[in-house]
Amino acid sequence: MSRSMISVPEGRRPALTLLMLVLLSACGPANVVVEGTFPEPLMEPLPLTMGIWYNEDFANHEFFDEAKSREESSWIVKTGAAQVQMWDKLLEGMFVDLVHMKGRPGPGQMNQVVDAVLIPHVVELQYAIPAHTNVKVYEIWMRYRFEMVTPGGKPITEWTMSSYGKTPTAFMQSDKGAVNLAAVMALRDAGANFATNFTRVPAVQEWLQQKWQKPARKKTAAKVSP
Amino acid sequence: MNRTALRCLLLIIVFSTSSACVTSNVDQMVFNEPTEGIGDSSVVILGRRHASDYETEPDFIECVGDHIASRDKSITVIGELEFINALYPWFEPRTAPLRPSDIDKLLLQEPVAMKMAELKTEYMIWIDGSTERGDSAGSMTCAIGPGGGGCFGFGTWSDDANYEAAIWDFTDRTEVGRVSTSATGQSYMPAVIVPIPIIAPVQGTACDGIANQLLEFLSSEY
Repeated sequence: MSRSMISVPEGRRPALTLLMLVLLSACGPANVVVEGTFPEPLMEPLPLTMGIWYNEDFANHEFFDEAKSREESSWIVKTGAAQVQMWDKLLEGMFVDLVHMKGRPGPGQMNQVVDAVLIPHVVELQYAIPAHTNVKVYEIWMRYRFEMVTPGGKPITEWTMSSYGKTPTAFMQSDKGAVNLAAVMALRDAGANFATNFTRVPAVQEWLQQKWQKPARKKTAAKVSP
Repeated sequence: MNRTALRCLLLIIVFSTSSACVTSNVDQMVFNEPTEGIGDSSVVILGRRHASDYETEPDFIECVGDHIASRDKSITVIGELEFINALYPWFEPRTAPLRPSDIDKLLLQEPVAMKMAELKTEYMIWIDGSTERGDSAGSMTCAIGPGGGGCFGFGTWSDDANYEAAIWDFTDRTEVGRVSTSATGQSYMPAVIVPIPIIAPVQGTACDGIANQLLEFLSSEY
């Protein structure tokens, strides 16, 4: 058996392997799994039982940006888990009752009884770091599309919404840490935008009026009838 | 330890503990100053984050709050993150009130009014600004070899800090004062084997300047 040119003492091999792995990991894309804590919204909950359905793409949402030159690095920003965490917290505070659907609402799909079901989608995500823009902020921009359907899957409405988060450069803060913080800010902004504008979406407004007028009419009719 | 090594060590300590000079300027315009301080009410200091090309640094806001709270123990300063989390989503960059009169609209929501009452917020201070890196000059070369490594060269840069604080009286829903500070300083980094940073504490000076002016407004002891 031939011996290798460079011999490494037995005890140092794990350390050398670790060092090689560390050096090799620097060659791969910058991987950011977005992590953060999100507060409950401070608002009077709407008297609705809202269903929520996160599809696979949304719950495992990730963004990949390939490096355009040798000086740049590729980026993978995984927002899926943080998206679910934020939207769960927000919607639980916005509605009297929030129900996670067993499956995507549609004909033949057995689901819980709810007033409507929200299906969020991340349509687009863009990011900018100081190396791209020469501005001392890290930025994340997201565009969402929301579907609101009946429990049977019939569309009620759909609309789009954007969110933006930025964080300043800070001493001893890594690019990954700053992008994570910018993503958390963008998620908070998405929550703020949704919470303050949900009842202003014209089709939602109309649906709410119809929904809340129906029981009132029934009551009036009951009073009038002898 | 021989004498040369001791001298080198002493030199490094002297350089590392020294700092460059900073020029600071503070302006203030105050109405309706509370004559006996703010009592058992609390104050919240928040950063404005509407501009697209800069952002008021959260650590600057924390620095101002810590400075005020440490100089007058009777003043309760609510942490920025604690406040915006407690009132989410009403103080996010998208939704934050831009004028004192906007608070009325906010208080129409019962949960918000109740939380505000619970926090006993008497003054809301909005700080807007940032510290920017200005001109830089010089060059430095670092090398590493089998026998060791080191740097040689000289670098210098300037930092400019500009901040403005608007004081809102929460009870009267009016702006009762405005304090602004600007600070500028030149930092140096000579390197003979080891780089020795001589940093101008520009942001720290701006923080002390604005916090001292706010203390004069809020505290009965100043």
